Amino acid sequence: MYANSSRYVGLLFMTPALLFVAVFVLYPLGQLVYTSTTDASLLGGGEFVGLENYAKAFSDKGFWRSLWFTVSYTLYITPVLMGLGFLAALLTTENTRLKQFTRGAIFLPVVIGLATSSFIWLWLFDQQVGLFNRLLVDIGILDKPLVWFRKAELGQLAVIISVTWKIVGFGMILMVAGIQSIGDDLIEAAMIDGASYWQRVRRIILPLAARSILLATLISAIGSMLAFDQFYIMTGGAPRGQTFTSVYWIYQNSFVYFKLGYGSALSLILMVIIMAGAAVQIALTSRKGSS
Amino acid sequence: MSHLELKNVSKSFGPVGVLHHVDIEVKDREFVVFVGPSGCGKSTLLRIIAGLEKATSGDVVLDGEVVNHLAAADRGLAMVFQSYALYPHMSVRQNLSFGLENTKTPRDKIEARVTEIARMLRIEELLERKPRQLSGGQRQRVAIGRAMVRRPGVFLLDEPLSNLDAELRVTMRAELAALHKRLDATMIYVTHDQTEAMTLADRIVVLRDGRVEQIGTPLELYNRPANRFVAGFIGAPHMNFLEGRFAGGEAGAARIELDGGHMLSLHIPARPKGEPITIGVRPHHIETQGGQARIPATVTLVEALGPETIIHAEAEGQPRIVAALAGQRGITSGDTVSLALDERFLHAFDADGRRVAEGEVAEEM
Ligand SMILES: Nc1ncnc2c1ncn2[C@@H]1O[C@H](COP(=O)(O)OP(=O)(O)OP(=O)(O)O)[C@@H](O)[C@H]1O
Ligand SMILES: [Mg+2]
Repeated sequence: MYANSSRYVGLLFMTPALLFVAVFVLYPLGQLVYTSTTDASLLGGGEFVGLENYAKAFSDKGFWRSLWFTVSYTLYITPVLMGLGFLAALLTTENTRLKQFTRGAIFLPVVIGLATSSFIWLWLFDQQVGLFNRLLVDIGILDKPLVWFRKAELGQLAVIISVTWKIVGFGMILMVAGIQSIGDDLIEAAMIDGASYWQRVRRIILPLAARSILLATLISAIGSMLAFDQFYIMTGGAPRGQTFTSVYWIYQNSFVYFKLGYGSALSLILMVIIMAGAAVQIALTSRKGSS
Repeated sequence: MSHLELKNVSKSFGPVGVLHHVDIEVKDREFVVFVGPSGCGKSTLLRIIAGLEKATSGDVVLDGEVVNHLAAADRGLAMVFQSYALYPHMSVRQNLSFGLENTKTPRDKIEARVTEIARMLRIEELLERKPRQLSGGQRQRVAIGRAMVRRPGVFLLDEPLSNLDAELRVTMRAELAALHKRLDATMIYVTHDQTEAMTLADRIVVLRDGRVEQIGTPLELYNRPANRFVAGFIGAPHMNFLEGRFAGGEAGAARIELDGGHMLSLHIPARPKGEPITIGVRPHHIETQGGQARIPATVTLVEALGPETIIHAEAEGQPRIVAALAGQRGITSGDTVSLALDERFLHAFDADGRRVAEGEVAEEM
């Protein structure tokens, strides 16, 4: 009796959250699934076409190329973000004033909008007035300013540099929390055990911060798989659509070519791919963690 | 050889002075216990020796060499933490071998050493377990094993038994004493438990508010506490302090009148009449039978422990006197008893709490 009534009370407490999820997640998701089975266009209409959109997606070279480009972007930027984030976290873990300030400075760009920071960097990379180009020339890395967005690889590199600046503080903060949760006594015990700084990092800090590193990696990788703004603003997909990311390709189909039904199907495919990737990553790392 | 000296060591955290001019010498193979109330700076002192904390001034001298600027790793000391600080992600075996791996010891040597220590500490069956799968006492053993692995000259132990239950604490105490004999190493042991200090130490360092109050063997501290603080800290149950004043007498045999009117004579130099003095008497030096009963008192609490009976009593002018009587007595709360203080074992402290020099207080045989 008591258990039953308390279960209803529990449900009552959950209602606002459930409602929120229902209205803002489940309903739109349902709509998306429905739309993906129609030939809806941005201008209206929408006949039921079954799985036709999905069949089309499998032979859509543009989609697979954009997916591969997104995956390669993710594979490049994730280690950079996590590596630099971990280093920054290591160097600023203690709560001295200077380190807290440094942490704040590194974290600051995280709260700027991605579009804003992309525009800033677009200017910094400009071949005529770009300060970044200027810097590279001044310190002798380049002979003359580079045209960053003429080649797909260079454009991708430019985006990676700008996004790293923007987002590296995010991983850092998660990892600082992870490192700080390791007891001082463990670090001190390792010092007494004769471990050098890097031995402590490798054998104590890394394994004990693994959970937060994994979490940061997962969030960061999913974010990269959903990349859009930075390429839309900085490369515009150029040259010749080589820097379209998956989301960009979905945007193109839905809002430029007006094929809303088809775009919906692509979105769902991307969602499934990302969820599968995340599941694999979690399964792999949690098996390693428990052994 | 592991000889350690602290020379005029002081430590402050910002404006707060935590240690003041500490001078301690620890001889090779000695078992020295730092004891004192919570917050007196015991751990800080130990951490300065270990190299985990830098002294604000003064020197740490290890085997004749000033090691102030040596990092913890390079001092060749081992430390057992109060929290044990076992590496949670490593098995017991890995915990034990970690210190040797850091110094690139060959694999077979590590194996041999770990096996040897595991056997010595009887933790062989636990080697593949993780720390969270161990009981408190087992963790304790692993922590000690980890300290032993590199054969350090000096062991530093910070309240290693305080997380164990009373029974296990007694067992581990005996094991530690045996271990000290077998290892032939210098040990510095921090505790706030005076029983641990008395039973383990070759010498005890009593600390209070960052100052050394007294250094000596357990019996020296027990028989001749340098001041009222040490007298009250060492010995269980605690020493009774009775307030009184000088009431005449001649050189070497002062008459003292306790508050409440009872007279005592003590082998200390007499001082001007009326000057206050505190008399210390241990509970074991009070009797209720035989002798010349002196102080009538009302019993307020009786603790019958079996082999002895502890009574708490109130006398006129003396709010609380604790006596430890041998054997079992038919005393109950509310009874009136006559307390006889054994005059051979009285201690006297002046108004500043310093021991009044006498040299005549007998040693217990
Ligand atoms: N890192 C620190 N910063 C500021 N004050 C500290 C620091 N470490 C210790 N203290 C202060 O120094 C004093 C001595 O601390 P310490 O830990 O040495 O005491 P302790 O004798 O070991 O006490 P306990 O028996 O409770 O362990 C305390 O007043 C404590 O607040
Ligand atoms: Mg302490």
